[in-house]
Amino acid sequence: MKKPLIEFKDFSFRYKSQTEATLHDINLTIYQHEKVLLLGPSGSGKSTLAHCINGLIPHSFEGEVKGSCKIAGVETIDASIFALSKHVGTVLQDSDAQFVGLSVGEDIAFALENQQMNRNDMVKRVFASASLVGMQDFLSHVPYQLSGGQKQKVSMAGVINEDVSILLFDEPLAALDPAMGKTAIELIDDLYKQLGKTVVIIEHRLEDVLHRPVDRILLMDEGRIVADMTPEQLLTSNLLIQYGIREPLYVSALKHAGCELSIEDSPASIYQLDLSRHQKKLLDFSSTFISSQSTSSQDIVLTVEDVSFAYDKELVLKDVSFTLRKGERVAVVGKNGAGKSTMAKLLCGVIRPNTGRILVEQEDYLHLTIKQLGERFGYVMQNPNQMIVKEMIFDEVALALRLRGYHEEEILAKVIEVLQICGLHAMRNWPISALSYGQKKRVTIASILALSPKVLILDEPTAGQDYRHYTEMLSFIEQLQKQLNLTVIFITHDMHLAIEYTDRAIVFADGELIADDQVFKVLSNDDVIARANLKQTSLYTLATRLQLKPEEFIEHFIQVERGKIHESE
Amino acid sequence: MNQNKFLIQVTLQDTFLHRLNGETKVRLFVVGLVAVIMSFDLRILVPILLASSLGVLFSKPNWKSIRIVFLIVVGVNLLNLFLFYLANPSLGEYWCGENTIIHQFSTRYYVSVETLWYLLVRFIKMVTSFMVSLWFIITITPSQFAAGLAAHRVPYKVATIVSLGFRYIPDIARDYENIKLSMQMRGVELDPKKASISKRLKQSLLILIPLIITSFDRVSTIANGMDLRGFGRGKRRSYYVEQDPTVWDKRVRFITNVIFILSIVYIVGSMIWPAPTNMWCPL
Amino acid sequence: MEKNWITYLFGKWNTQTVVAIAIGAALFGVLMIYGSITVFTNTRLTTAMIVPVVVGALYGALPAAIALFFGNMFADLLAGWGFWIDWSIGNFFLGLFVGLLPLYGARVKDGIFKPLHAVIFGVIAVVGNALAFGVLTPIFTVLLYGGELTITFMQAFAAFASNSIVLIAAGIPVLFALAASYRRSSGLRKE
Ligand SMILES: Nc1ncnc2c1ncn2[C@@H]1O[C@H](COP(=O)(O)OP(=O)(O)OP(=O)(O)O)[C@@H](O)[C@H]1O
Ligand SMILES: Nc1ncnc2c1ncn2[C@@H]1O[C@H](COP(=O)(O)OP(=O)(O)OP(=O)(O)O)[C@@H](O)[C@H]1O
Ligand SMILES: [Mg+2]
Ligand SMILES: [Mg+2]
Repeated sequence: MKKPLIEFKDFSFRYKSQTEATLHDINLTIYQHEKVLLLGPSGSGKSTLAHCINGLIPHSFEGEVKGSCKIAGVETIDASIFALSKHVGTVLQDSDAQFVGLSVGEDIAFALENQQMNRNDMVKRVFASASLVGMQDFLSHVPYQLSGGQKQKVSMAGVINEDVSILLFDEPLAALDPAMGKTAIELIDDLYKQLGKTVVIIEHRLEDVLHRPVDRILLMDEGRIVADMTPEQLLTSNLLIQYGIREPLYVSALKHAGCELSIEDSPASIYQLDLSRHQKKLLDFSSTFISSQSTSSQDIVLTVEDVSFAYDKELVLKDVSFTLRKGERVAVVGKNGAGKSTMAKLLCGVIRPNTGRILVEQEDYLHLTIKQLGERFGYVMQNPNQMIVKEMIFDEVALALRLRGYHEEEILAKVIEVLQICGLHAMRNWPISALSYGQKKRVTIASILALSPKVLILDEPTAGQDYRHYTEMLSFIEQLQKQLNLTVIFITHDMHLAIEYTDRAIVFADGELIADDQVFKVLSNDDVIARANLKQTSLYTLATRLQLKPEEFIEHFIQVERGKIHESE
Repeated sequence: MNQNKFLIQVTLQDTFLHRLNGETKVRLFVVGLVAVIMSFDLRILVPILLASSLGVLFSKPNWKSIRIVFLIVVGVNLLNLFLFYLANPSLGEYWCGENTIIHQFSTRYYVSVETLWYLLVRFIKMVTSFMVSLWFIITITPSQFAAGLAAHRVPYKVATIVSLGFRYIPDIARDYENIKLSMQMRGVELDPKKASISKRLKQSLLILIPLIITSFDRVSTIANGMDLRGFGRGKRRSYYVEQDPTVWDKRVRFITNVIFILSIVYIVGSMIWPAPTNMWCPL
Repeated sequence: MEKNWITYLFGKWNTQTVVAIAIGAALFGVLMIYGSITVFTNTRLTTAMIVPVVVGALYGALPAAIALFFGNMFADLLAGWGFWIDWSIGNFFLGLFVGLLPLYGARVKDGIFKPLHAVIFGVIAVVGNALAFGVLTPIFTVLLYGGELTITFMQAFAAFASNSIVLIAAGIPVLFALAASYRRSSGLRKE
């Protein structure tokens, strides 16, 4: 019999500032050496549950606790947060907040310093865990020199060198590029297998987590655990769709083809999935494919010519050139730290090229101020904390409209509309500090959508978002794009987003533009995939297993998906 | 905002002073500063000034930023001295006991050798005090500073204030920039060429309030991150940045201790046998 | 009640407080350099004076004092103009006085800040300033650096005046706003 390590009994929790509880009737036991995935829509209380496990609730967040929560046999209320930190290591969702050291090395060492480890051992340990996540060459870098994904790797390294029995990862993949995401999942699995740790992962990217097996999946919705089952059981049920979570793509494809999945098919992994029963239906499905041609106008809105840029001495972007046409939807993809966010900042004029030119509607943009550029470009930054300036949600979204002198009634109508689309309407009068991370990100998206700019730049719009919210937002953007002929740039690590919502992909690796082509073509080029740390989607694997042409299969899938979305509207 | 604008270092170069460990540097700095503060005597100030100037020289600093700061310090101090003189032209008499007048402007204003001497000594004291902090700033990282303080039995929670404060200064400066950008992108004109000064002043205030809000909103998330990794769990902690002392650390510490003892002797000595004048005047 | 009194004065010495002091000091340093106008040699009219108000209101008087002590040090070190402990000491005491807020019933965290509190705050800010910069700083300046009393007092007076202006003109509105924001962020429900 395994030993229970985390035990919740009739547990509920209410944040002090809320009138209603955020967690209700949690009954949950996680045993020693188990690997559990916690799924659920954004705002469903996943991070809150994680905070109950690591002791931040009740020791740091004020609120009302009912019922019992025991970690390694001790009630969290009675234990101090230090005592709990000996059992639980947490990678927080907000990797900025976790970075307390002055440099990468110091941050990774932080827990060891508190354990009073002597320096020689510490240096070795830090180097070892930095190597595990591929950050060993960055030990003396300071936080602001790192890209979003690099920061996330650092916080992971900081936790894996602790001697704890429970590891808690709150959206470890959100900012990682696909290849690194895969490595991270493998790394977590190794910790689980080799060191015998108990692992709890919170993630929206179900398919990516299932790259390595998990024992159990917990599904949360509105503060309750609504399902607690094995991956196979969950994938063969309808629960994922019911709660607005993205199914693995191959599972959706099978369903579109009319296949009934059962537990015997071992659907939790695309490689182990037994296709024998479904082969025929899938082949029929793909034979209905008719290729379509997308059209975009010929007006060029933006030209980037041989642009190079360096923050300090090292070039972060090298001789980048591309053009954007009106009404185009482009995905900017590539490795962590490749310079994608830097490119976005360049376009908005926040920083200006060292060499090369950027032309906005055929004229050099050097004489345009940030404000003037802001009237054409709407930029949603990668890190929501860096964008939010107001205290209340409504005011934040209304800010730009107010600054531009719209009438109050007009503002009200617009703000309400975008808040509804972003699923924040019910919370419009809340302070931003009471939001979950994904909700904060949606606030920043809402505040830019309210402006209907000509060119929309979204930096990681889907990071930390659940499928339902993300499809709602993206179909709204699609609608805007069709009505107003918007140009949309998605900077993303989400290959599915790139395939489904864009016509073209611009690929960056180490500061260079290495490919600029249709998304399918890019994703069938192994060289580009390797250089830019990309990854094939499971549709590709499925197609090759069926000996079909992957590109056609994927395109057909997308057509069907889009049809589905439009039906549901 | 670029960190290089500040003098404070985050990574160390490879020079003699940079290589010393935090404990040594902090001790040398504190002893030097105490010696400067406690003495009004050129015989002590000049050697310290020379030593710390050499320290600055050998640490290969970023001359451009140092030059500006140096000019400001000298300028402000000269202005101060001038004001001192205006307020009380007979300062020298108080400090040196005599009044050797060289030039008389009016009944109140005259130039005396002693006043000039006093002004010179004070000027050198200020410059020395500046140089002592300067070599220290450019050869230490905030974490080493914290480690050095902790090694001298300053509670590490207090030492953490120093390193954490420096850790977040660039972040706060960057927040300031980001808030400004975010405002600009949404329609506030902050470009100096395009808006009037009074308007920009008002808009800077628009930035200040969010800056305060975001800064203090951060407190709980940072504290959570630290708590989760066991901050405050033991009575002491070790430091990743603090190297074991080398031979040179030991030598420098020895010299520091000698200076410290000499300073004590000097201070106690001048209490037991007070000099005839308030400061050493060879004139 | 007795115990609360002590917490208000000394703060709770947990990680939160340590971080708040550090962030407060950092903010003070940044604002001292970028958010100020020079009014007299060594003296600036500075928005940094908001820092002790916020730290005092949220974390207690001693934390506010320490934040100012280190904040002044950070500003000195960052700008590179030396290390003037006399002003750090003055700022320490100023922070202590400004941070006394909860002692006279201004519980900003519970959303309580009334006009009466504003008046008391104003008076304490002025008196505290006078003590800190009119008495303590000059004593230390003369003691440690051997300055000239008249000028030191003039500098102290400039500091006193400019700090008092900022504390009253900006500090009081910030306190009202802060209290209002704490009131607003309670009793949240989805509509
Ligand atoms: N500090 C807080 N004070 C008050 N309410 C909070 C606080 N933190 C979270 N909440 C509320 O609790 C609910 C659950 O938040 P939580 O952060 O647990 O969500 P989540 O499932 O992790 O979402 P995401 O996927 O977006 O990170 C949200 O509706 C949020 O508004
Ligand atoms: N403000 C800065 N100062 C100095 N270097 C920086 C700065 N911001 C980013 N960098 C460096 O520039 C490179 C590109 O960073 P950027 O943020 O553009 O990457 P990215 O492609 O957006 O990565 P990610 O996918 O992880 O977000 C990185 O190597 C990073 O270390
Ligand atoms: Mg969360
Ligand atoms: Mg980025």
